Amino acid sequence: MAELIDHLMATPLLAIALTLSAYFAGERLLRLVGAPAWCPPILVASLLLAGALWLLGIDVADYREGAGWLMLLLGPATVALGLPLYQQMAHIRALWRPLLVCLPTAAGLAALYAVGIAWLLGAPAEVLASLAPKSVTAPIAIGITEQLGGSISLMMGGLLLTGVAAIGFVGPLSRRLDIRDERLIGLALGINGHALGTVRAFEIGPTAGAFASLGMSLTGILTALLLPLAWHLPGLAG
Amino acid sequence: MGVLRGFLWLTGFLLLGDVLVTLAGLPISAGVAGMLLLTAWLSLRGRVPADIAAAARPLIAVLALLIMPGVVGIFFILDRLAGHGLAILAALLLGTLLSVLTTLWLMHRLLGADAVPVEGREDG
Repeated sequence: MAELIDHLMATPLLAIALTLSAYFAGERLLRLVGAPAWCPPILVASLLLAGALWLLGIDVADYREGAGWLMLLLGPATVALGLPLYQQMAHIRALWRPLLVCLPTAAGLAALYAVGIAWLLGAPAEVLASLAPKSVTAPIAIGITEQLGGSISLMMGGLLLTGVAAIGFVGPLSRRLDIRDERLIGLALGINGHALGTVRAFEIGPTAGAFASLGMSLTGILTALLLPLAWHLPGLAG
Repeated sequence: MGVLRGFLWLTGFLLLGDVLVTLAGLPISAGVAGMLLLTAWLSLRGRVPADIAAAARPLIAVLALLIMPGVVGIFFILDRLAGHGLAILAALLLGTLLSVLTTLWLMHRLLGADAVPVEGREDG
């Protein structure tokens, strides 16, 4: 059995087939239980995939090598995000002033809060670098983490948890602050909860969804531009 | 064939972004540079070519699939993180609570003062 698996793992095909199977199985499983909003489909699919790898005794490093074919497509997919960004231009132009003030602050604080808390509790540099892009959409966050020298796996875990937490917090907090404006709720979901928050915002309504994808794209761009620079400043000063 | 032609466009922008990032020594990833170049180019043209949309939409739709190989690693490094579990959890949960609160409050103040109904201003 182990030899057969080794033989099949010699090409990327098995890794790709496993990933696709877990993706569709996860989708199906979620639909069966009524797709709860707080549970991102990718969490279910990844758990199924991890279980399959463990059962088959496939090393994660070997799996990654094969699945690299899928990861390679992340590059063109990131470029493709320029299309929805372009389609948001009308919103950006209409609200450029508050956005100009709020987005850099909100995106910066999202990273700063997380890194600050982890640093206070004594987490090492690798962990800090993996937590910093926690509110950024995954394809962009992968590039940032690579540049900061963090762990991609940890960053992905942090990203998932952040998305779920943001979805959970935005509802009660906006009620508390008496905010009913769909634009605000959408922006808060997109800025803090990246793609997961954006999916949730589209469930609230099309306006919330449009503003969430706007918040998500701009947060991603700003963090990608500013975080690597900010990261190296303390190093230069000290 | 539109999809393939669109894919060539996306890959072209990605490579262009890579060239730019490498030559200028920018601290951003080639993908982000390519995305910004594509946005700028679409803004210049003022419309989205059908080929690019045909390739971009399905790619965006399967983004979750493309990042799965990255996500799955987390389940295999949990023991390595055991000592920092509390710091990581606190940073993520408390940090997200604080940043959601700040965002909502800040946008409420700013958009409240600058309330422009977007629906009325969309002209193209």
